Amino acid sequence: MKNLLTRSTLNRVAGVTGAIVVVYLFVLPLRESTTNSTLFTLTLMLTSVALSINWNLTGGFTGYVDFGHAVWFGIGAYVTAILMSEQSSLLPQQWPLVPSIIIGALVAALVANLVGRMTLRLSGPYFSIAMLGFFVFMREVVRVSRPLTNGGVGLTIEPTINRPLWFYVQLVLVLVLIAFSWWLRSTRFGASLIAIREDETGAEMRGINTVRTKVTIFSFSAFSTGVFGGMWAYQNTFVDPDIAFWEIRTIDAIMGTMLGGLGTVIGPVLGMTVLFWLREILWENFLDFHLIVQGFMLGAIVLYLPKGIVGLFADDSPLMQRIRGSKQTSAFDGMSSTLDDINQASEAVNSVEAGESNEDVTI
Amino acid sequence: MAPILEAKGIVRRFGGLVAVNDVDIHVNPGEMVGLIGPNGSGKTTLFDCLSRVQDINEGQIVLNGHDITNCAPHEVAHRGLARTFQILRVYQDLTVIENMELSIQWGEVTTRNLFRRPDKATTQKADRLIDFLLLGRLRDQRAGNLSGGQRRLLELGMALMSDPSIVLLDEAMSGVNPSLVEEIKSRIQILNRDLGVSFLLVEHDIRFVQDLCSRVVVLNFGAKLAEGQPSAIMENAAVIEAYFGADGTESDEA
Repeated sequence: MKNLLTRSTLNRVAGVTGAIVVVYLFVLPLRESTTNSTLFTLTLMLTSVALSINWNLTGGFTGYVDFGHAVWFGIGAYVTAILMSEQSSLLPQQWPLVPSIIIGALVAALVANLVGRMTLRLSGPYFSIAMLGFFVFMREVVRVSRPLTNGGVGLTIEPTINRPLWFYVQLVLVLVLIAFSWWLRSTRFGASLIAIREDETGAEMRGINTVRTKVTIFSFSAFSTGVFGGMWAYQNTFVDPDIAFWEIRTIDAIMGTMLGGLGTVIGPVLGMTVLFWLREILWENFLDFHLIVQGFMLGAIVLYLPKGIVGLFADDSPLMQRIRGSKQTSAFDGMSSTLDDINQASEAVNSVEAGESNEDVTI
Repeated sequence: MAPILEAKGIVRRFGGLVAVNDVDIHVNPGEMVGLIGPNGSGKTTLFDCLSRVQDINEGQIVLNGHDITNCAPHEVAHRGLARTFQILRVYQDLTVIENMELSIQWGEVTTRNLFRRPDKATTQKADRLIDFLLLGRLRDQRAGNLSGGQRRLLELGMALMSDPSIVLLDEAMSGVNPSLVEEIKSRIQILNRDLGVSFLLVEHDIRFVQDLCSRVVVLNFGAKLAEGQPSAIMENAAVIEAYFGADGTESDEA
């Protein structure tokens, strides 16, 4: 048993599993039995996964827990819709799709840059609440800006959607995002994010321009989420303030990341995928109670799995040590689920991640 | 010779409380200066002001000929000032070597090299410092698994990664066992003598200050009480009164 689960074996298993999943996803649209609605569901899942990855860049790597992340999705979606729809009376001419999405994402990044300069000075819960406030603020701004946004009625985009194509686009973008986040983690910029999370004053004192670093990653995260917002608006063919600025997207991103492993590269991907299918299964089987069951399970996960699924397979996890039957010296023996443990997401896990293929995406 | 670090008329208020009251302090190149005083006398606050972690209400700070009064801490670090903290600030989940690599000369980070990995030279430098600070065999241990004293050494190593011209040490010896204290002391002396690194240190261990420092500044209630050679300071009646209490026994422990 001891030698069965070495690090390299685990990495290999994860890599092979990931590769199989990716190949399966690429082949899926080619099968005749795959319907457009299945593809759209999968596209939504990929969107959720992308949001988790983006949220993790600020929430996991940098330690700034953003309760309003969905605002960047909403801005991306709305700018795209305004540019593409005939119903916006200020901008009646229709723009092509790709420029609209890019402009939407750039607007999200620009707003994030300005808002971040103010809110990223706050720490801990103050930042979280400020971002939640900004999210609600933006939703209402969109609702009352009738000439531009058509108010609460919403905007319709002419549907000319090719589901398999968009599924592929999003799949490739998510893979790129995973590779990016894995690569980022190994650079000095990535290291400075971790340094800020662990100890911001110390990071500043060691010469890191913490304000610039935080604003940069925050803006990038907003840009990337804005892209997915724009793509969603186009595929959904309709936006209104409540579905474009939907708080569940933020909650999902946080829950998915926590479930998978906060501050790890693969955690958000794994966690969000599990969460997405968990909800589908619960919804099918316990329609009336599915949110209760889901909430209960997530509570249990945070209590008993503070380092997420990825943390289970770290070298210093109690599970791995029990399976291997060897006791390594570790401060994590009898790991307690204190707040500290939750906060200080395991760097050990990250270094393990860095060694893994960036393709071990989904199960 | 112009001082490496010179602060004049530093005032830091917290509401009605004046934590640092019109303090002048300077450190000459290659000098080791001790900063002592009872608990609450403003030593750490002064450190925070000097390293720009805290804003000052009045006064001016010059580092290596540059006015850093309005600089951000990272700019101060780029100009050659490094510090350690009273409360340990090492990255617990990273290994010793990773902690060191993280602390490399951020001043050199430009947009061009920002997205590169730590290079070979960084790792070699980190390894040399780790060996110098007797942490060689703990290289790949998580910093969280280190003892308090070893973490102090690691923090010192992290401060040294940026090739500072002056290091501010905030109670580098608290919680360190006596045999390790001697080791740390000798390392600091080597750094000072052979590499010309200046030190400003806050310390409760008077013998430590006496052995290392050529000059001592005493703070009490946020103001400078005395300044001079360690031997003279130890005989100063006002200092003995403030620091040791009237009966001459040490009245406070950090």
